[in-house]
This record gives sequence, C-alpha cells and structure tokens, in this order.
Amino acid sequence: MTNNGSSSKFDRRTLIKAGAVIGAAQLVSPFVRTARAADVVKIGVDNPLTGTYAALGKNEALGMAMAVDEINAKGGILGKKVELAIEDSTSGDAGTAVQKARKLIDRDQVNFIIGNINSALAQAIANVANEKSVFHVVPGGHTDSVTGQNCHWNTFRVCNTTQTEASAVATSLIKNAGKKWYYLTPDYAFGHSLQAGLEAAAAKLGGVKVGGDLTPLGTTDFSSYLIKAQAANPDVIIFLQAGDDAVNALKQAVQFGLDKKFHLAGAQQELEVLLGLPPEARIGTWVFEWYWNQPNVPGVKEFVAEVRKRSGGHVPTARTWFGYASIHTCALAAAQANSLDAVKMARAMQGFKLPPEIALMPDGAYYRAGQNQLIPDLYVGHAQSTGKDDPEDLFVVETVVKGADVSPTLEETMCKQDWPA
Amino acid sequence: MENFDLKKQTPNLIVMALLVTLPLWINYVSYTQLGTQVVVMGLAAMALNFLLGYTGVLSFGHAAYFGLGAYGAAMTIRYIEPSTGLGVIVGTLAGMLAAMLIGPMIVRLRGVYFAMVTIAFGQVFYFIAFRWNTVTGGDDGLTGWKRMPLDFGFAKLDIQRDPTTFYYFVLVIFVIAVAIMGLLLRSPFGRTLIAIRENERRTRFMGINVNLHIWMSWVISCTFMALAGSMSALLNNFVDPRAFFWRQSGVFVIMCVMGGMRSFWGPMMGAAIYVWLQDYLSSATPNWQSFVGLVFVVVVLFFPRGVMGIIRRKATE
Repeated sequence: MTNNGSSSKFDRRTLIKAGAVIGAAQLVSPFVRTARAADVVKIGVDNPLTGTYAALGKNEALGMAMAVDEINAKGGILGKKVELAIEDSTSGDAGTAVQKARKLIDRDQVNFIIGNINSALAQAIANVANEKSVFHVVPGGHTDSVTGQNCHWNTFRVCNTTQTEASAVATSLIKNAGKKWYYLTPDYAFGHSLQAGLEAAAAKLGGVKVGGDLTPLGTTDFSSYLIKAQAANPDVIIFLQAGDDAVNALKQAVQFGLDKKFHLAGAQQELEVLLGLPPEARIGTWVFEWYWNQPNVPGVKEFVAEVRKRSGGHVPTARTWFGYASIHTCALAAAQANSLDAVKMARAMQGFKLPPEIALMPDGAYYRAGQNQLIPDLYVGHAQSTGKDDPEDLFVVETVVKGADVSPTLEETMCKQDWPA
Repeated sequence: MENFDLKKQTPNLIVMALLVTLPLWINYVSYTQLGTQVVVMGLAAMALNFLLGYTGVLSFGHAAYFGLGAYGAAMTIRYIEPSTGLGVIVGTLAGMLAAMLIGPMIVRLRGVYFAMVTIAFGQVFYFIAFRWNTVTGGDDGLTGWKRMPLDFGFAKLDIQRDPTTFYYFVLVIFVIAVAIMGLLLRSPFGRTLIAIRENERRTRFMGINVNLHIWMSWVISCTFMALAGSMSALLNNFVDPRAFFWRQSGVFVIMCVMGGMRSFWGPMMGAAIYVWLQDYLSSATPNWQSFVGLVFVVVVLFFPRGVMGIIRRKATE
C-alpha cells in the first residue's frame, strides 16, 4: 500500500482521483432538477421491482405503462401529459416503502400514488397518502383492512379483498375436495386475513381446520411444513402463498407426492405462479381475479393483443390488468371531478362504474361507495398442466362469480371513512 | 471553555451552520424529509461511534436499541398517551434500561465475541417484534398512530404537519445529544475510554475498572441510539421490525467507517453520504446496494480513516 517508489505514472492517487471525478460526475445530475412543468400530471408508483414480488410488479408496471400511453394518446389527464415516477418499494420492507412514498409525495410532488402488491406495504403507503391527502390506488395488495378497518377516503383498491376471494372459492372446494382443511399461510397481513377469511367461509359450509403453519415471507424450503401437513391427514392442503413462495411450495408438495394423497388447493392463484410451476404441479382449485381467455367479453381480445406486442408475446395476467385499471382509475377520477383535487376526485369515484373497455369483465366492475373497493367478477376454476391452444392457457374457468354476491356487506367490512371537513 | 480556540471549533461551526441553514438550501438538492433522515441517522451513527470509535468496542447489535427507541415511542403514542414528548422519553428509557441489563452479560467479552453476542441479543428483539402480531403489528409494522404537535402549555409547536418545524425539533434534540456526548468525551471519563481503546491492559494496570467503563460507555451509546430510534419512528410515523434487524446494525457500522471512526463528526458525514446515496441510487437502480457496497469497499481499502480522515489530512498538509 505504501509503494512510494513506484515509477508508474498511473499511480494509486491518479486512480483515486479519476474514480472520484467519475463518481462525482454521476452524482451531479440530480442537482440539475428540471422545474416541475405545470403541464404534466405525475403518477407515483411505489411497487416492488425486486424480491419475491418482482415478477408480479413487472407485469403491473407493464399494464401501467400501457394505460399511460393510451391516456396520453387521447390528450392526457385534463389536457396535461401523464408521467410515471417509479420507485422500488422492495417486496417486504415497509420502512423503505414508506420512505419512498414520502419521497414521491414530498419531492416529486405526484398527483397520484399507486402501490402496493404486498398488503402490509399497501397499508403503510395508504397511511402516508392519507396524512398527505394524496389520491391513492392499491393495485394488488389484498388484505381486508386496506378497504376495511383501516380504510381511508383517498385509498381506492382494484384487486379484491381476501374475504371476497375466500368466499368465492370455498363453496367449490368443499363440494369437490372435502371438509378437513390444513393451511400453509404466509406470515404477514395478507396471509393472516386470507386464512381467517377461508376459515370463516368454510365454517359456514361445515368445513373444519385440522391444522396449519405460518411460513415466513421468502421461504424457499417448505419440506418441514409439508411433512407436518401430511401428518395431519387433511382432505385439502390450502396454499396461501403468492409469488415465488407459491412456486416453491407447490413444486415441493408435488415432489413429496402430496398431490396423489390430498387435494392441493388455495384461494387466490396467479398465472405467474402457474407458469413458474412444472406442468405436473399445475393442479388444484383456485380463484383468479382476472383471466385473459374470455372469448365472449368484448375488448379482451384487443387488450390481449396489445399486451402481447409489448411483452414479447406473453398474455396479460391479472397483475397486468390491475396496473392497467389503476392508472385508468386515476385518469377517470380526474376527468370525472374535472379537477386534480384529491377530495373532489375521491368524491367523484364513489359508486363509479368502470367503462367496459377498461373493466374487461362480463358483468363490469364498480367502486363501492363508502369503501372505495372495486367490486368485479371473480373466476373460479382449476389449473391445467398444459394449454390446448396456447401454452399460457393454464387455467380453466368453471364459474364466473359476481363480486357483489360474495363480498361482505359495507357494515361487515367495518370501514369508516375519515373525510376531511 | 476558558479560551475559545477558533481553529479547534471550526469543524463544529461548519457542521452547525450547514445544519441550521439546511431547510433553506435542501430543496435544490433533495427534500426536507431527507435532511431530517440525515440528522436522525447521524445521531445514531455518532451514538454508535461513542462505543466503536472512542472505546474501541465493536457492537453489531445496536439496531436493537434503535428499534427499542422506535417501538417505545410508537407504542407509547399508540397505546398509552398521544404525546410526542412522552413517547421520546419512554423510547429512550426503554433502550437505556435494556442496555443496562444486557451490558453486564457482555462487557467481559472482547472483539468478535462481543460483536456476535450483541447480534444475538439484537435478533431476540427482532423476533419478538416480528412474532408478537397483536401488540407490535408483526412484520407489517406498527401503524395507526402519528407524531403529535408539541404542547408546552404556553406555546404550541406543530411538528405534525410542517416538515421544517419537525426538522428543527429533531435538530435541537440532536444538538443537545451531541453536546452531551462531546462534553463526556472531553471529561476525564472520556479520556479513560480512549485509554481503554489504545491499550486496555495498561489501563487496567493503572487501577481502572475497565469493564465498568465499557459498561458505562455501552449504556450511554445505547441510550443515544434509542433516542435516535424514537426520532426515526416519529419521522416516518411508522416502525417495523427491520429497525431491530442485524442488517440495520451493519448500516450504522458502515456509516461510522465510511465517515471516519476517529473523528467526532465522521459518523455524521458517513450517515449523510449513506442516506443520500441510498435515496439517490435506489431511484436509479434496484441494485443500489451493490453501489453502496462498492463505495464502502473503496473507502475501507484506500481511506481507512474515512472521509473525515481525508479532509483532515488535506487540512494538515
């Protein structure tokens, strides 16, 4: 380190100085902040780009980008161009998500904020957005409290509540598989409320819980949990994991041969997860929140074709649609209120029905007044190992359930909105 | 302070001038919230450095006390009494109490053993916060509370809505805490700590109770860490178990090393660099940690005395 006698011209100091100059050059750019143009509407996205939910986050981002292009092609929001400001919330670090939400609101001064896939992070962002009175859309975090006990006047949610998903799938499961259920539940808000929802829905139909385990988010080895589940000898093993956790859990369950002995099932299922599974592990009864193969619904074919163009041939998933519907919700709210004032926009969206070309569902979808929860259709069916006409057609829809029929009533959600005076 | 030595006071004056005027210029570079974050993390790093830099004992579990301060403040406001002042006091005392109890079990250990046991104790708190869903909110963090405006009886200070007011509130606490630490280090007690750092055996031979001094340094360090933690909870109106996690302890150590452990303001500098790098890089790339790691490696390899070490060398040249 103290080789002072070095005759080389390119010595350590030169290297350090060069490095410092290059480094400084990288860091100077943010100082030159462009003044916030008054003719731009900014939508802040605080969603996972890394971790367990990275794949889901990317699909939501794709849907969002597509919606932004559509809106800008039609003249933007209130005649202003729409821009996305995207931050990585991480998949499970609520502190980071909160910090990013504040950054988007305080520094970037966004007009809308969108996030998150992780329910815990969605709730944390909702609290920040409420404190700052910013119009907030949750694209894909399912836990009940976001539009239930901890609901806010300014937080709207596109995806379903866990209770709704559980009620939609419970009937079919009890009929097809049996009454003794064992639960493998991810250990955070979404998992807890989904399990509670399923237990409640099953209990109404005579189902019983024979056991269960909480698995930490990001678990890769499920063997100990699976051995315990096997020992409990249930009719159905319920998997409530999402993202990569679900892929790992189901893969290992099939490796253990559990699919031969028990019925493997769950509530929510995603196309991303089924695509990640080996064909033999694509089994079980599930509920999808949106599905691309809806031959009789107008507009879906065009939507799928456009997404295929952008994604290199892949079909849209429920996540793509969540992202797409979230951005359109922002634009519709502004148009409906003819203003970017959060209170006016939120008032304008009470009971608002999404136009069919955005809802893309047989019965449409609307934001329930007093709760700001989107009430769409749900698709109950089973996974299939290979698609007949398309390799990504991995789900067979058995019944389309109307959200209004399986959603808890407004009183049951315990949502009390705190509108500003 | 008989004769005011301007040259010696220059660094203090520069840092203070920068911090006091921060809300005036921060918006050209960043945003007030981030300035507050720098002050909070700076306090945390300087608290750790009291032990690491001036007593020569490496703790890898200081996040535990940071987290205790944060949860102490948050849970007080949420469950007991919606008062910011009480929250800060309870949070700080919680950290201090835990440090006093855990201290005797670890002060006999040295080096890597000390570091490992501090990690272990830290993880205990992490898992309590993670598992005890009904009280701590588990992995989702503790929400449903926010910092309250300060009410002094004769005047009200709205630290809830106005970020600049909150910044100055944090700054005042920061200045008081740093002044206490600075005075302690100038006192015979502080000199004893440095003696322990330089040569523990010789200090012992002089008849000084080394373990007691390390315990005291540990408690002081953890107390200010808890104070920083409670500030951090107030800043975000949110706290989650990651405040306890060993990685958070590592971040504090990185701040100290990056800024310079031998310098009083070094950790503050390190905190500023780290917080700002994280804020800037994480918007630019999801792989921001690689770049922070790279900066850390460069600092450790080429500037073992940290950024303040370079500045000091330049100044003496």
